[in-house]
Amino acid sequence: MLFNSVEFLLFFPIVTVLFYLIPHKFRWIHLLSASCIFYMFFIPEYILILFVTIIIDYYAGILIEKSNGPIRKRYLVISIISTCAVLFIFKYYDFFNENMRYLFSKLDLKYPDKTPKFILPIGLSFHTFQSLSYVIEVYYKRQKAEKHFGIYSLYVMFYPQLVTGPIERPQNLLVQLREKIEFNYSNIANGLRLILFGLFIKMVVSDNLAVYVDEIYKKPEMYNSFSVLTGLFFYSFQIYCDFYGYSTIAVGCALAMGYSLMDNFKQPYLAKSIAEFWQKWHISLSTWFRDYVYFSMGGNKVRPLRWILNIMTIFLVSGFWHGASWTFVLWGFAHGLLYLSGALFNKLFQYQKPNSAFFIGLIKCISIAKTFFFVTLIWVLFRAQDFNQVVKVFYSLLNNGSITDNFHINNSVFIFLSLFIFLDYLLNQKRFDSWCETKSPVLRWAIYSFLIFTIIVFSSVENYPFIYFQF
Amino acid sequence: MKDFKKVLLKLLLVVLLLVSLNYVYKYFFYDGDLKEHSEVFFRVNTPENLNADILYLGESSNVTFRGDDYDKRPISGFLQDYFPSIKIGEITKEAAHAGIFLALLKSLPEPNKVKTVVFTMNIRSFDCGWIYSNLETPLQKSLVLLRPYPPLVNRMMLSFKDYEIKTELERDWQIHSRWKRDTFNLSYPFPYKDVIDWDSMTSKKGILNPDGSRNQGLTELACNYIKTYGFQIDTLNNSRIQDFDEVVEYAHERGWNLVFNLLAENTKRAKELVGEDLVYIIRKNRDILVNRYSKNGVIVVDNLEDVPNEEFIDQNWTTEHYAEIGRRKIASNVAKALKKFYPKEYNSNVSISFVKLSQFYNDCEGKIIWGQKQTLTNEKSFSGKSSSKFGNDNVFSLTFEYAIKNLPDTVKFVDVECKYFQTTQNKSSRFVMEIEGKNIEHTRAEYQLSEENFPSGKWVSAKHTFPLDSTFFKGDLVKLFLVNDDQSFVYLDDIQITFRK
Repeated sequence: MLFNSVEFLLFFPIVTVLFYLIPHKFRWIHLLSASCIFYMFFIPEYILILFVTIIIDYYAGILIEKSNGPIRKRYLVISIISTCAVLFIFKYYDFFNENMRYLFSKLDLKYPDKTPKFILPIGLSFHTFQSLSYVIEVYYKRQKAEKHFGIYSLYVMFYPQLVTGPIERPQNLLVQLREKIEFNYSNIANGLRLILFGLFIKMVVSDNLAVYVDEIYKKPEMYNSFSVLTGLFFYSFQIYCDFYGYSTIAVGCALAMGYSLMDNFKQPYLAKSIAEFWQKWHISLSTWFRDYVYFSMGGNKVRPLRWILNIMTIFLVSGFWHGASWTFVLWGFAHGLLYLSGALFNKLFQYQKPNSAFFIGLIKCISIAKTFFFVTLIWVLFRAQDFNQVVKVFYSLLNNGSITDNFHINNSVFIFLSLFIFLDYLLNQKRFDSWCETKSPVLRWAIYSFLIFTIIVFSSVENYPFIYFQF
Repeated sequence: MKDFKKVLLKLLLVVLLLVSLNYVYKYFFYDGDLKEHSEVFFRVNTPENLNADILYLGESSNVTFRGDDYDKRPISGFLQDYFPSIKIGEITKEAAHAGIFLALLKSLPEPNKVKTVVFTMNIRSFDCGWIYSNLETPLQKSLVLLRPYPPLVNRMMLSFKDYEIKTELERDWQIHSRWKRDTFNLSYPFPYKDVIDWDSMTSKKGILNPDGSRNQGLTELACNYIKTYGFQIDTLNNSRIQDFDEVVEYAHERGWNLVFNLLAENTKRAKELVGEDLVYIIRKNRDILVNRYSKNGVIVVDNLEDVPNEEFIDQNWTTEHYAEIGRRKIASNVAKALKKFYPKEYNSNVSISFVKLSQFYNDCEGKIIWGQKQTLTNEKSFSGKSSSKFGNDNVFSLTFEYAIKNLPDTVKFVDVECKYFQTTQNKSSRFVMEIEGKNIEHTRAEYQLSEENFPSGKWVSAKHTFPLDSTFFKGDLVKLFLVNDDQSFVYLDDIQITFRK
């Protein structure tokens, strides 16, 4: 089920109202059933895949907790391999075959012409990582193994964050799922505020930008360099609003039932460097990689060359996590390269900070603009279908200066984008719900009216699924 | 309890807010949205349809024509010839089917004078390939704003994508699952279990050329015929049957006469490519539809095998696009069925057979449709109400196109005469004759009208004679028209074309 669907408009109030009406001890059944229904709206059969990973990691958690010595590690490895095998089959098998076919053809060897193709189960990478996070935490004894199969299943399947995160840690979510939650007006109000804001940025801002981005990426050669550049900037905001919108709705849905999920974004386009960007963008994923991969490789407490290797590994794996394509790997590589260049630059050119507030502000602005510009250029690798498209986009960006085109953008798109940028700045790392709470009732209701009206009347009518669904 | 009251109060506020927003939307945004997202509403809601006695609902079969059709009118246009005293309206929506037509009919504003409705019934539309096709998404989307709810609710449904959305992979998966599930159950032993089996065996065997080599193009076409027509209508579960059943119910409610116009399929080609089995299945499906709806008081016009192979425009694909004679034949069959309701108004003197002509006339009133019909305008006319306007972005005038094989062999010249109106002194306008054909190079002859020094702002007679040399008869198609690539517009009326010795 999509958050921006009519089904969800009915599903959410029913589930939330029933949640408060049902006694605490039965709530897990209610939420688990609701989550199953939510997931089965996509391809019903695929819920079995989800149950396979749940069963593997549930028993792995218990066995790891019970055992000691090398066998403990063995259980962890078995659990990681089996969970990742599911991910491999459904996400990377086709990519693997494609590359093998290419390799075999280069070696004049025969590779099977037809290999099975799978529709990627929605959000597979997300719940796989959430599942892995649980077994790893149990292994490091930072989390007790969950004995209640239903509660554990709910931890993996909790519908607000089931398909696109935030990727939660057991210490946060699993604990909350056991707590008794009383009805609280403030939670409901704040949850609804977040949902409204999330729908606005997804449906009104992101989806309307998507129309232009698609057009530019479809035929970049038809448009002049300025239009192509506009398309690239639009994509930066499209993907941000799309994912930020989803995460905000997810946090809002959970909050309406009294659960608190982690925030996934903190004004990433105001980051002054690539390193800072990754502290503000898709926080639940970057901290996952940091905690479970980077730290286990030694983090930064290693020799410089090893550290460079660690950083590049993290970014390459992160790229590959996003999609089974070499463009994603290159996207990760480019981020890694920029991260390292930034670190090297800071080490080589240490300058004294100016005293003047004006110069501090100016340097900050330039740094933000530079980071945004690079991130925008690198998004091309993320958005393009293949390398040909990447080349076409960059070629058009650099060579189409003299073309006159008819790239006409609706005024409403600029208005809503500007409004979003202004709001994002205004919120200043606060969440929309707490920002709203401080306003007078009249202003609050004016904001609600505006958001409701624009969501209904100015949303794009084209279907743009959440971008991160494909991961 | 306090919190509960608070929630109720806020809910009440939200309802009030939505009611007032509905009015804002209805008065300031709704019409614009209808134009942008439900353009089909304006095809339904026309004065012609509201005042029509008979409404013809067609898809692409109604309006598609072949280049060499002399008269490019749609089926509904030819139908009008049989009932000159009755107003016939038409709603044409490409790829539409009964479900879509019904929704469109329900949006037909009251009051209207419709008494009889002719529904196009396309046998292919009962196949899962069409039922699950990706054409369904835009069709369903265009109907959301026409639902019988307050405008703001409809817009919300549209924003929240309350119409069927599937990815290509999901659609393929649906179709394949259906193919696997629907096994053949014929009255005689049939070697294939299901359509997948039949398709793969045909593909494996292939269609061979006379020299024994595989003809890939024909093999693919045969497979397409199998996948398109190789299904048996399951009246209990086929969603298209349910749509037509609803249509019958709705027509009864409204007291309309109902005619289902079962379109012709290229059964000859099906037999050549695949064999008698496929034709048998097609005929069986036809029987199911005719029997089912005839029993329900609907007149089902059975055109299935009434259009000859050569009248199918797309020889390399499965469509119901007919050339002029094919469209005339369908119109004639429908007219015979409608005669039951309008016996006195029926004109029996309409001929569908082809007569070799050498004189042609178009008064630009839209009764006979030639190419570039979009140039017809009511802005100016020499006689009647309209003329052909061209120039600026639309450089070609109304265009005469005719198959050369249908002209007498003895013709040596063609005279083109018309009424001509230029708004300013035009240096670009010219008569053009083009000859196209498989066996000749595209040839073009022109005559500049600026040589005539016509006055501006006045209707004048323009005439030119093109000689027809020996290469003319090697061509397949002759085109006669005017070109104006100037910024200022030119109008044309009462075009007379005469091929003579």
